[in-house]
Amino acid sequence: MASKERFEMPWQYNFPPFFTLQPNLDTRKLQLEAWSALILKYFRSHRLHIIDVNEAQSSPLFHNVSLNRKLSTETIQLILEELRRTGHLEWMDKQKRRGWILWRSVDDWAKLLYRWAIDNGMSNTVCTLYDLLHGHDTADEEFHNMDQDLMQRALKALELQKKAEVISMDGNIGVKFF
Amino acid sequence: MGNLFGTSKNVSRVTEHDRAVLQLKVQRDKVRQYQRRIEVTMEKERQLAKRLIQEGKKDKAKLMLRKKRFEEQQLTKAEVQLEQLDSLLMNLEFTQIEQQVIQGLKIGNECLRKLHETFKLEDIEKILDESREGIEYQRDIDSLLSGSITTEDDDVVEEEFAQMFADQFPEVPKEDLEEIGDTAPRKDTGKQKATERRERQAQLAD
Repeated sequence: MASKERFEMPWQYNFPPFFTLQPNLDTRKLQLEAWSALILKYFRSHRLHIIDVNEAQSSPLFHNVSLNRKLSTETIQLILEELRRTGHLEWMDKQKRRGWILWRSVDDWAKLLYRWAIDNGMSNTVCTLYDLLHGHDTADEEFHNMDQDLMQRALKALELQKKAEVISMDGNIGVKFF
Repeated sequence: MGNLFGTSKNVSRVTEHDRAVLQLKVQRDKVRQYQRRIEVTMEKERQLAKRLIQEGKKDKAKLMLRKKRFEEQQLTKAEVQLEQLDSLLMNLEFTQIEQQVIQGLKIGNECLRKLHETFKLEDIEKILDESREGIEYQRDIDSLLSGSITTEDDDVVEEEFAQMFADQFPEVPKEDLEEIGDTAPRKDTGKQKATERRERQAQLAD
């Protein structure tokens, strides 16, 4: 992916103490904020939506190979909790092992989808979920290839606003925009 | 209670037609997915055949290529099917639009008919008659008013008219005449000349 090469880690990433939870509360607060911002930026530029705590440590994001430093699972949990507090993360399970990283809120995703539908004259017609996620028409959109469940949540949000209706048919999902 | 309200409010706006279109689009997606899958396997087999040739396993390589050829044919078939599905979809969607147009025409027609109903022909005749009567009445008033003017008034009017008529011509400037008399047959018509003359006049006055 082209965006992968373009992504530059912030200076903190090459600063060893960044990978250890700071004892001083003020410093720790700043540290958590910096990590939150970094995670959101990293996920956005790589178009990722799901974080798996078990696999997180093997990601270059939390493991700086050149420094030979990595964040402990506990610290990762702490940062993720901070993200949840600011509304940028939603857990998928009660064990808090997997979660959505919402670098764009569900409502904003919904807006984006709706604008695409209107701009492309898709109102009053039926689109399949597959079409929205992987179709040729959405290749340039940010929601192309996004997490299917997350897209479904955005569509549900549109449904509540009466801007769309989700149709489920033999396990195939479609949506009609209005 | 909430449920009761919920069901009455949330009337689905998805029609049977929409469902049919969705079904077709799902089919189309499946063909596309199939295409993608075949493309991936074909690429893998091509690589594999290459390796087999390098390893000297000619028969196996040929088998691989034959398999790939078969898949290529499947892909072409899928392409044709996709085209058919697409054209069917377009037809379906267009029919829906046609239906909407016809519906719109129907509503417009109905509206026009109702409007015509409210304006009955007799009503219009009546309205026209009434307005004609109104005009005639106005004309009567006018003639009555003009009839009330006496001959004495007429004289005054005539006099005023004559005065106004005379006023619309400018007074003949006397000095100008003398001037023209001096320089005998000169004819001043243009505006430019008139201003020249006025200038000269001013000099003379000095």
